[in-house]
Amino acid sequence: MERTAIALEPAGALDEPVRIERVLAGDPRAARELYDAHAPRVYRLIFRLAGDADLAQELTQETFVRAFSRLRDFRGDSALSTWLHRIAVSVALNGMRKVKRFREREAPLEHAESIGARPSGIDPDLRERLARAIDALPESLRVTLVMHDVEGYTHGEISAALEVPEGTCKTRLSAARAKIRQALAPFRKE
Amino acid sequence: MHDHDELDDTTRAALRAYRTPPEPPLDEMWRAIEARAFGAHAAPRRQFWRAAPTWLAAAAALAIGVGIGRYAVPAPPEPATPVAPRVAEAPDRLGATATVLSDARLDVPYEVATSRYLGATAALLIALPAEARTGQVDAQFASQARDLLQTTRLLLDSPAGDDPDLRALLSDLELVLAQVAGLRSARDRQELDLITGALEQRDVLPRLQSVVAQIPFAGD
Repeated sequence: MERTAIALEPAGALDEPVRIERVLAGDPRAARELYDAHAPRVYRLIFRLAGDADLAQELTQETFVRAFSRLRDFRGDSALSTWLHRIAVSVALNGMRKVKRFREREAPLEHAESIGARPSGIDPDLRERLARAIDALPESLRVTLVMHDVEGYTHGEISAALEVPEGTCKTRLSAARAKIRQALAPFRKE
Repeated sequence: MHDHDELDDTTRAALRAYRTPPEPPLDEMWRAIEARAFGAHAAPRRQFWRAAPTWLAAAAALAIGVGIGRYAVPAPPEPATPVAPRVAEAPDRLGATATVLSDARLDVPYEVATSRYLGATAALLIALPAEARTGQVDAQFASQARDLLQTTRLLLDSPAGDDPDLRALLSDLELVLAQVAGLRSARDRQELDLITGALEQRDVLPRLQSVVAQIPFAGD
């Protein structure tokens, strides 16, 4: 691990296009810098979508392997993070579909979810009902809600990652929130 | 966005706590990414095999040899032969090769275990599509996969898992074997498609073949 070199040349010291050029020229340190700059956010999103640490790790790796193998095709029309997230969402959704059948036979979601840190101060019943409501959403609504309301992506970022118009993102978010509100209504009346 | 679309503070806080991610294993993920994305370019595979111990090269050659042997040697007409004994014959075949490995001073237990494991795993994975076509995949086949899966995990934690390339291969084999181990019936086409899809997606067998092609003595 070239930690010393990275410390001497911290992330952000070089423009991203320069780093990309260095990666394409075969500089592994630049590749690691790009990875360090983007992997935490990519992993967070994938974990939120997948709900399982091992699967999130596998899908994050797949995302970056694909990204590096296709980096020469990145034309810089959008930010690298946008391009990366487009790959990440595609990899995550396809990967999750493939393992869905296996996941159904293995640990239920609640068990998988327990891998992540449990924040305090949130009513466990509300948390569980909310999780079930999110999991029950159609994929397009769930991804939009998770990206916007859970991970804090802007409509512009979601639009670019999902390759749909911003208006569609807003409509999906509105529909997702309505379903969440509806699912939590009985809980609110208790 | 209209005001009535907004969620209350409690719900918003709960949303942010949905599937709270753990700390990402950045270094571990990077090692796997580096091996897969840059192994062939940054560090030529030939160099890897030059540096690799003889036992590893022999094991990889053996893995393919056993698999190819299953196709190259006509099987006796025993349509009712259970799957497990045929899979279990891989270690027996390996017994003959063990002499060769001994000649290569292969005396470290985990190295022997890795050789045997690779041979048995290759035999099982190469046989899977054919077994599926004949509908002979049964519980014993899955049981064999479970045993190999356990060995995979042990090897990942052994010195054999220190090599990035071998570790990446073992990680992929772990994924595929876990799927085979969960197999219930050869008639479950969707499940079999998922497994063969994973084999193709991860290029598992071509990667093994690619490894063998780079072993100096493979063509001798």
